[in-house]
Amino acid sequence: MQYYEKAASVSTPWVRLDPELGRIDLVGESYPANSFEFYQPIVEWLSAYLALDSVHPVHVELELSYVNTGSIKSMLDLFDLLEQAHQDGRAVAVVWKYDSRNQRALETAEEFSEDVSFPFKTLDTFVP
Amino acid sequence: MKGLNLWDLRQQLDAANILICFNGPLSQSIIEQLGVAVRRHLEGEALDEGTLYDVFAVYIEQSQNIQNYTAKKAAEGIHASPGSSGVHFDAATIAIGRVEPDHYLVTAGNPVAKADLPALTALLDALAGLDADGLKALYREQRRKPRTGSGAGLGLIDMARKASRPLEYQVREMDEHTAYFHLIAVI
Repeated sequence: MQYYEKAASVSTPWVRLDPELGRIDLVGESYPANSFEFYQPIVEWLSAYLALDSVHPVHVELELSYVNTGSIKSMLDLFDLLEQAHQDGRAVAVVWKYDSRNQRALETAEEFSEDVSFPFKTLDTFVP
Repeated sequence: MKGLNLWDLRQQLDAANILICFNGPLSQSIIEQLGVAVRRHLEGEALDEGTLYDVFAVYIEQSQNIQNYTAKKAAEGIHASPGSSGVHFDAATIAIGRVEPDHYLVTAGNPVAKADLPALTALLDALAGLDADGLKALYREQRRKPRTGSGAGLGLIDMARKASRPLEYQVREMDEHTAYFHLIAVI
C-alpha cells in the first residue's frame, strides 16, 4: 500500500492516507472544480486498503470547514465503503473536527453521521 | 459604436448595493479569488459566521453550476448558441450585495439553451413550495442519486436550504435557441 499525501489548495483540503496507521486525514476546505476527480484517488486507496485484509482498523480524521455539494457526493462514496467495512466487522471510526463558531460545519458533519452506524464523533476545536 | 459608460454601470451597481460583480468567462481560479475577496469583505462587516458561510456557499454553488453547465455544453461540442446571438455559454454574470441590513443577495446569470430550461424551472418551482423539512428530505434523497446530467440538482436544493426566502429566477430571450437565465438567492 502506498502512502499518499497532497498539499492543500484554496479549494481542496490537505490529504494524507497512511496505510501503516490505517488512517485518512482531510483538513481544509473542499470545493474543487471537479470533485469526482479529486476524490477518486482517495476512494480507490480506501478500497484497496480494505481489500488487503478484513481486520485492520480504519481511522478517519476530518476537519472540513466548507464542503460543496459536489464534494459531499464524493464523500458519501467514502462513507459507503466505511459503512460496509463496519458491517463486515471491521473497527471503523470517524472524528469530525469543527469550530463551533461555524454551526454549518457541524450540520454538515451531522448530516453524514445520520447515515452511518459506525462510531462518528464530532469534536469542537474552538478555544474561547 | 456605443461606448460603455462605466460611471452609469457603477451608479447602477451602487444603487443595488452590490459589493462585488463579475462579468465574463468563469474559471476555477476566478471563482476561488472572487470567493476569497467576498469573504474578506464580509468578515470586515463583522457578519456572524453562519451568514458568512451561507453567502459564500451559495456563491460557490451558483458559480460552479454555471461552470458545470458550460463544461457539459462543451462536452456536447457546443461552445456558443447556435442561434443568431452567437453568445458563448461561458459568459457569466455574478453579483453579491447587501439587500437589507441583515440580508445578502447572491445572484448569477448565464446563457442557457431553451431546451434545458423546463427541467431547471420545474425544479426551482418545486423547491419554492417546500419548507425546511421538505427541502432537507429532498436533499437527502438527491445526494444519494448517481451523478447524471448537469449535476445542478443538489446545488440548487442546497442554495434553497441556505436562502432565507424561496429562490427566484428570471428568463429573458437572447435568440431563438437561447435564453438568459438569472437566479436570485437572498440569504
